Amino acid sequence: MGANKLALAGGSVGNTLGKNLGAKDEKGVIGTRQLCFFVAFLLPVSKLLETPSVLAYYAKGDLLFPAICQQLLQALAIGLFLFLSARTDKSFFELIESGLGRIAAKIIYIALAVYFVFYSLLPLLEFERFVYTAFFDAAPTFSAFLPFFLMSAYVCTKGLKAFARSADLAMPLFIVSFVGLMVMSVGESDFSAVLPLFGTPISSSFKGFLRSMIHFSDSALLLPMLGAYRYKKGDGKKVMGSYALGSFFVLFFLVVFYGLFGPLSPIMTFAFDKTAQYFKALNTVGRIDLMLAYTMTILLIFYYCLPLQLGVICFSRAVETNKKIPVAAALNLALLLFTAYFAKFYTRIYNFVTYYSFWVFPVFAYLLPLFALFLVLKNRGKRMNGGGMSESDKKTARKEDGYATC
Amino acid sequence: MKNLTTSLNENIELIKTELPAEDILVYSFTSADKSLRFAIVYADGVVDKALLGDLAARPLKRLTAPEKGKLALNDIKEALLFPELKEQTETEELKKEILDGNAVLLTDGLKEAVIVGAKLPPSRAVIEPPTDVAVKGPREGFVEDIKINMALLRKRLKTPQLLFEMQKVGKQSETNVAVCYLKGIADEEAKDAIVEKLKKIDTDVIVDSSYIATFLAPRKRSVFRQSGTTEKPDILAAKMAEGRIGILVDGSPIALTTPYLLTEDFQSSEDYFVSPFWATITRVMRVIAVLVAILLPAFYVSSQLFKLQLLPLSLTLTIASSIQGLPLSPSLEMFLVLFVLEVLKEASVRMPKYVGMALSVVGALVLGETAVSAGFVSTPAIIIVAFSGICLYTVPNFTETGSILRWLFLIVAGSIGPFGIVLTAAFVLYYLISSDAFGVPMLAPFAPLVKEDLKDSLVKFNMERLDKRPTLFKPKNRTRLQSKDGKKTKKGETENGSK
Repeated sequence: MGANKLALAGGSVGNTLGKNLGAKDEKGVIGTRQLCFFVAFLLPVSKLLETPSVLAYYAKGDLLFPAICQQLLQALAIGLFLFLSARTDKSFFELIESGLGRIAAKIIYIALAVYFVFYSLLPLLEFERFVYTAFFDAAPTFSAFLPFFLMSAYVCTKGLKAFARSADLAMPLFIVSFVGLMVMSVGESDFSAVLPLFGTPISSSFKGFLRSMIHFSDSALLLPMLGAYRYKKGDGKKVMGSYALGSFFVLFFLVVFYGLFGPLSPIMTFAFDKTAQYFKALNTVGRIDLMLAYTMTILLIFYYCLPLQLGVICFSRAVETNKKIPVAAALNLALLLFTAYFAKFYTRIYNFVTYYSFWVFPVFAYLLPLFALFLVLKNRGKRMNGGGMSESDKKTARKEDGYATC
Repeated sequence: MKNLTTSLNENIELIKTELPAEDILVYSFTSADKSLRFAIVYADGVVDKALLGDLAARPLKRLTAPEKGKLALNDIKEALLFPELKEQTETEELKKEILDGNAVLLTDGLKEAVIVGAKLPPSRAVIEPPTDVAVKGPREGFVEDIKINMALLRKRLKTPQLLFEMQKVGKQSETNVAVCYLKGIADEEAKDAIVEKLKKIDTDVIVDSSYIATFLAPRKRSVFRQSGTTEKPDILAAKMAEGRIGILVDGSPIALTTPYLLTEDFQSSEDYFVSPFWATITRVMRVIAVLVAILLPAFYVSSQLFKLQLLPLSLTLTIASSIQGLPLSPSLEMFLVLFVLEVLKEASVRMPKYVGMALSVVGALVLGETAVSAGFVSTPAIIIVAFSGICLYTVPNFTETGSILRWLFLIVAGSIGPFGIVLTAAFVLYYLISSDAFGVPMLAPFAPLVKEDLKDSLVKFNMERLDKRPTLFKPKNRTRLQSKDGKKTKKGETENGSK
């Protein structure tokens, strides 16, 4: 037991293992607890910026219904990820490689890397706009946002172990800032504003569902974590329970948000730093709620760096290189130029992503995990016919089962 | 490599050629009946001459040549009243022993020399260390002599499990370095890794333990320390009992401990001598104080330049009235005041004690009061910098890192405002979570979260609840506290960890 705990803490055995596998795989580096914290405390932060106003605009105030549908759909994808983790200890790359060959695995991984970059485009522009509204009284120059890419480039050079630890850190930061902000906001919020539930036409709810697809396609982020997380008995309940908690945070925020701003909600973009501003005590002590919003921004930064980090991991894996620094630098430079140029065309980019390219998100968030399921089942069939893991592979797998080097 | 001969004069000549320094002295004498000739070679100032006279020269003077046969080495060793005696014939080894502070006894007619352990290097008394003052608890502190430091540690850990692995580091200084650990508790893999790293150090001189810390650091360019330091044997003993490894360096009163966790800096030895509630409160207070020290000047500047909403309206008005007519921008003003603080701090450490009083007057009154009345800087800026400076000293081990971070945050706050502060905070956190030292994450037990080790992190549980050693240090024997009747601990483990 002690040894396991030790490994959980990032023991030397795990370090050695991680080093040996290099950038290719980081088997077992994500612990159950860290996955739980990720789905409970990191996934919800991305839904606090533009999602509420987008839902309020398209779903005509009945913003809970499309959000619940999205959360349920995503819950299925997370359930699928857990099912895959329970059935295979291979990484997604190894899974494709064993099913379709190395070339196909490389192509899919490059496609996944491109998807992660594409997935980041709109959120980055959103984040930039949020930064300008929440951190500055007057509009600053674009250079104010540039250092984000330095941070992102740094994160991109790190492996999944660092990501897993950031999930650990997310728990106290999220709880303190979210609970603090909500305590200050709840008193001023009119909960009856969201009533009647499911009162708008289904077409509006469907529109809201469709247009918010980008904000609820996080399940694709889990694919490169396949193999890095090892399923243990009882993990399903823990992870799904944590996801339910994260979903509750999102839905609760949507209710408070709509209760505060009502019909103004569609134009209240990036308002999560404004929800607590009506709290009476702030007149005396100043905007201390901003400190909580800023704490939450640290998590937003972690979250927005994650797809880019995964993009670098996927690309490095596809081209079989351990040199993440040039890849991370090139990717972030490209994104910096993109953000610098397209910041003025936010609406056009927004329309392009949500109207014309919205189908890309379910392909990677839902169809690709289904494809992985197909590969796992195919592999099992092979194994039952005499294929599958060799004795030495099984031995290694059993040995590694004890490691969860977080 | 040269060996000694049977001629005393030749041997003295040989050693003097190898060690021509003026402080290498030769004391030649004969026995009372003039039948035997001896010489003691030693380095002046590092040998206990009185002891050498009483326990070596005096008995040897009384010695007489045997009636039959030649004088044997054993006769001499029997005559000497020293417990530490060694034979040696190689001049190279003799040279090392003399330089190390031991005396070498040469006898005419014998080609073996006797090394007499009469080392007494100059050393100061064991006093309370100035950097680690405790209101409650032991007051002994380490000194520069490694032997005394080892004895101070042994005094507290009277167990055969306490082991010292000695190394000589530094080509010129040949500094003694002791890696100390508790066998059966410390992770021996980590100990071996440290010893290996010590062996690989190829430098001229090791004058202090901080040199060793630099060589051991996994991240050489980090602004964060990567090994713990302490000047007190009680703290070192307690840390070793948790599974850490200690490193004592001859010539340094500061012991190193590794693996190191960032939370250690926020703990004090006193926390273990007061109520756990009070210990927890003070630990949390230290964290808040350090955060205030690092972030307050940055937030003050960024609120003025980029986000006035951060301040309450009444405070904004007060600040507005006090900064009216200032020739400097808020960031430049804060820079200047912070620079003055750092200069005053640096000067007060270096300058003679008697001038210190004058410096305080100049610093506090002339620079502070006059600068405000002259309209160079505002009163809030001085208050903020002074408070930030005081806050940082609540955690003395963090002052260097804290100062660097304060400058860094001030620069980003002056450039891109609160977003810069948040971004830098995120960067620092990510840097810390991805840093390991000897397989132990620096930000543990928070990231990764190790639930059991939280009991003595920022919160401090009652001693009885701290029944297990921290898992982070991979101790072989995790049980720290067991009930006297040998009953199993609450998780069903006996002392040796078996169920």
